[in-house]
This record gives sequence, structure tokens and C-alpha cells, in this order.
Amino acid sequence: MLVTNYLIASAERHPGKNALFYGSRSFTYLELLASSQKIASWLNEFRFDAGFRGAILNDDAFEYISAYFAILLAGGVVVGLNTQTSDAELSHVLDDCGASVLFTANKFNRYLKSALPRCSLLKALVLSGLREELAGLESCVQQDLGELNHCPCTASSPLPRRSSYDFAQIIYTSGTTGKPKGVVLRHANLIANTTSIVSYLQLQPNDKVMAVLPFHYSYGNSVLLTHLAVGGSLVVNQSFLYPNVILQQMVEQEVTGFSGVPSTFAILLSRSALAAYSFPTLRYLTQAGAAMSPELARQLNQAFPTANIYIMYGQTEASARLAYLDPAELVQRPGSIGKSIPGVELTLRDRMGKIVNPGEIGEIVACGENIMAGYWNRPEETREVLRPEGLWTGDLARSDEEGFLYIVSRKSDLIKCGSHRIAPKEIEDVLATHSAVHEAAVIGIPDEILDERIRACVVLRPEADYSVKDLLVHCRKYLPLYKVPHEVVVLEDLPRTTTGKIKKSELRPMEAYL
Amino acid sequence: MQTNEEKIRAFILNNFLFDANEGALANDASFLEQGIIDSTGVLELVEWLEEAFAIKIEDEELIPENLDSVDRLAQFIGKKTS
Repeated sequence: MLVTNYLIASAERHPGKNALFYGSRSFTYLELLASSQKIASWLNEFRFDAGFRGAILNDDAFEYISAYFAILLAGGVVVGLNTQTSDAELSHVLDDCGASVLFTANKFNRYLKSALPRCSLLKALVLSGLREELAGLESCVQQDLGELNHCPCTASSPLPRRSSYDFAQIIYTSGTTGKPKGVVLRHANLIANTTSIVSYLQLQPNDKVMAVLPFHYSYGNSVLLTHLAVGGSLVVNQSFLYPNVILQQMVEQEVTGFSGVPSTFAILLSRSALAAYSFPTLRYLTQAGAAMSPELARQLNQAFPTANIYIMYGQTEASARLAYLDPAELVQRPGSIGKSIPGVELTLRDRMGKIVNPGEIGEIVACGENIMAGYWNRPEETREVLRPEGLWTGDLARSDEEGFLYIVSRKSDLIKCGSHRIAPKEIEDVLATHSAVHEAAVIGIPDEILDERIRACVVLRPEADYSVKDLLVHCRKYLPLYKVPHEVVVLEDLPRTTTGKIKKSELRPMEAYL
Repeated sequence: MQTNEEKIRAFILNNFLFDANEGALANDASFLEQGIIDSTGVLELVEWLEEAFAIKIEDEELIPENLDSVDRLAQFIGKKTS
């Protein structure tokens, strides 16, 4: 079984059904499949090696989904890129994965112009709205996506056969060592996770989800695949800039499902006209990224009385999902992330790998068909987390007598900001390249809406000529907007351990320094 | 004295574009289409608007027609403060 089977089977069963609502447009399963097949045939002409990497930098849902399945149909591996990017991040990821083809749109030209000439492996660029060819890409074929979709092209040679053990997707995620690293997922990993999620959410063809999460993250990717797998529909609006627009769409489209992260629900409850709407068709809400407080659960129950609320836990390394809390347990188990999903076994282990007793804290270790193949070209980091016991998640938790899990903390210092996971080191490395900065330490500080805000603590060089704005401008030059610190604090020194390591724990109660 | 439009431009440039270049922001540029602000940026913007112009923005008013460009914001603030 391959991921492409989801689209092919749903197009056979529901050819004229709308799979996707995006903006004012809608697309049937047959239209999605036809577009994917045309693009796949075109890709096939390049005779790329099996398992070539096809990257997508596009927030147009139809174009993203058709490119996604086209790459898979042509025997490639999908690399969905974060559309909130920077020149440096884009060229790093394209280079790191060795992308042969990039699907993108004109609106990203400001990044493409400087990032692409550095990507020597790129053979083809498919642009939506190509008006003039980009300079500096002489060895790269440039193709307008619209022309491809309108051409009557059919496959001149058969598309390559792939197996479920082959790689299907690489999802880039924050690496603790700084630069984003690619999580490699096989077709079998994605199929196992999709099957499990479909079963516990009891998804049906008549389900229609409001998809606000970007598809390039594993959570958004799982929302996409699960709903296409059952022949359901997606109503896509991933900006979430104006929550009232989303609420209006949910009502008009009579959606049955809605998926978000804690900040999604915090924004809906604190700064939207939620109380003015009712959602009689809404059957399920899903939240991943953190447990839910009893108060938030109460407010959501009140706002969405017909919906079951599923709290979920997972990692990109697990194709998305590892555990969920049955909605019936939400009130009785405040703060719990539930139990393992079907097909996954979770254990809590001490450093030596021994399973701990109920009530004791241990690291969550996961086994199942959904666990990644490894990190792309990073054998050492792969070996650190994929051990004989399973995937060591880096999340510390305890379980109660009945096996319900409660996250206690993370071993790494990744910052959780909205739907993003951000490595402090990446920001610290950028700050350190500013001429005024002697050293920097970046931490997450609690935030009601975002979960955490980014605070940069910097020590300046003697007589440094600087302004906070200079530092932020410098960060934005090399980092996507969401990684730019929300605040900068200047210190005379950073607290250190006796071995000289920066003690970030002492930076957190920063109010003492201000 | 700064006009409302100038104040809004300065806030957007300083907080989201980090760019002193005035030409980097057209007054009719959609924040949504151009990816100038993200969802949490809108919250920061609303908080600033309420404080800077001493107004209360209702949840129902958080729609693109009111907020999605410098022009629209200036018009919205004009109406709220008149």
C-alpha cells in the first residue's frame, strides 16, 4: 500500500465529490488526481533516480496537494517546505535534501532569487504564474504550472513502481544542534499512522474538516492524508490571521471537524466572535502540541457543545501521532495526553532503558509501524533517538495506575511557539554573527496565547554600537519571521555552570534581572 | 505631528518588516496576501491599536475589511476615533 493509493481509491469511489474547498474554488477528487497525474507524467520525462526529492514551497492548497501526489506518483520523495522562510533556510533545506525539482509560486520570488542559484542539484523549477524565467538558473528547466495543468499530456512511459518500504516524505523539523533536520518517513509509516488516526477519530466519507494547519508540518500533513484516505473533504484556510473568517467558513461549509494547536484555541476563545456562532454539524475537535487545562476544556465544551474534543500527542518522527485522550476522559483526566493510539506501544523508561513504575518519571519511548526511518543524512542523530527499545522522544512523562500519560517536561530546550518548534541554537548562532554581540542565549518564556515567546539574552562587546532594532533586523535577514525574538534583553554576563556552560534555567525568571 | 497612517506604517515597519526602507510597505498591500503579519502578529497589532489610539476594538471587528492593509487600518481608526 502506498500513500498515492489514498487519492486513487477516493477518486474511484467519489470521482465527482469535492475533495477540497480553497478560497472561492473547489476541486473534485477526479480533478486532483488528473492534475497530479499530468504533473507526474511530466516529471517522469526527466528520468530522475527513484527516490528523487521533490520540494514544494507553496501555500496554495490545490497546487500543494497536486504536486505532493505528483512527486509520489513519479517515484519521488516529497519535501514540503515552510512558506515562512528566509533565503538562508530555503537554500539550506533544498541543499540538505538534494532536491531535483521545486514546485513554488511567484510570490516567493524574493527568496527564490537569492536561494536557488546556490542549489546546484536543482534540475527543474515549476512555478505557478511564471512570467519570466529567473536569472542564474541556466541549467534548470523552468516550467509554468498552469500550462502543465492545461496540457493534454499523457504518460509516454509507465510511472515507476514503488514499495511501501520506500521513502515517501521528508519533513523538516527544528534540530537541537541548530539547522533544521529532515525526518524521513516511508510510505508504510504514513499509512500506519493514517490508518490509526482514521480509526480513533472514526472518520467517514461525510467528514469535512476545517484545515487551518499548514500541510508542511506533520500535524497538517496527517489532517490532509486522513481526510483524503476516507474520501472526506478539506476546507483549507491556513492563514488564521482573521479567526472570524475561519468561523464564518466553518458555519457556511457545515464542517464536521476542526484541528488546532493550543494557540489556535486560545486565539479563538480570546479574540474572535466565537460566541456569536453555532456549529451544529461539528463532530470533533483535535488538539495536539500540549495537554489541555480543565478551564480551556470547559470553555471549548461550551463553545462547541456537539463536538468531541480529542487531545493528542505525537512527534514528526512518529509520522505525527503517538497518543490520544479519549474525549470521554477529558474532564476526569485533566492534563493527560491519554494512551497510545492503535498500532503504537508506548513505554516510560529510565536512562538505562528500564521501564519505570506507575507514578515515576521516565522518557516516552515509542514502537510502531509509524516510526520514521531516520533523519536524512544524519546517522549519528538517528542512532541517538532510534535505539533497540524504540524511538526515544525526549519527552519526560509519568503514568497513573490506569496507564494514562502526563507529560512532565522536555529534555531538549526547543521553544514551542504557536504551531512552531524552534531551536534556540539556530537563533543564538545568528545573533552571534552580529558585530555587536559577544554572546547570546535564547529561551522560551511562558505566554498565554503562544505557549512560549522567544526571548534573546545578549551580552554585548565592549563599546558596541547597536540598537535592539539592529539585532532584530539582523535576525530577520537570516531567519523566518516566526524565529525572530519577541524581545531582547541586554545583560552584562550570562549565568554559567562550574564547567562554563550557560545555565538557561537561571535566565528564565528574568524579571530578577530587569 | 504624525498622521494615523504614518503611525501605523511605522509600527508595521518596525515590528514586522524590521526594515527602515519606507518603500518596503505599500499602503494598499494586503498583510495576508503578502505574508507581512502572522496570526499572533495580528494580536500584537490590535493590542497596539487599542493602546496607541485609546480605542476598544470589538472581537467582531477583527476582520480583513478593517485590518488587512495600512489604508484599511487608517480608515478603520478614523471611523473609531471620529
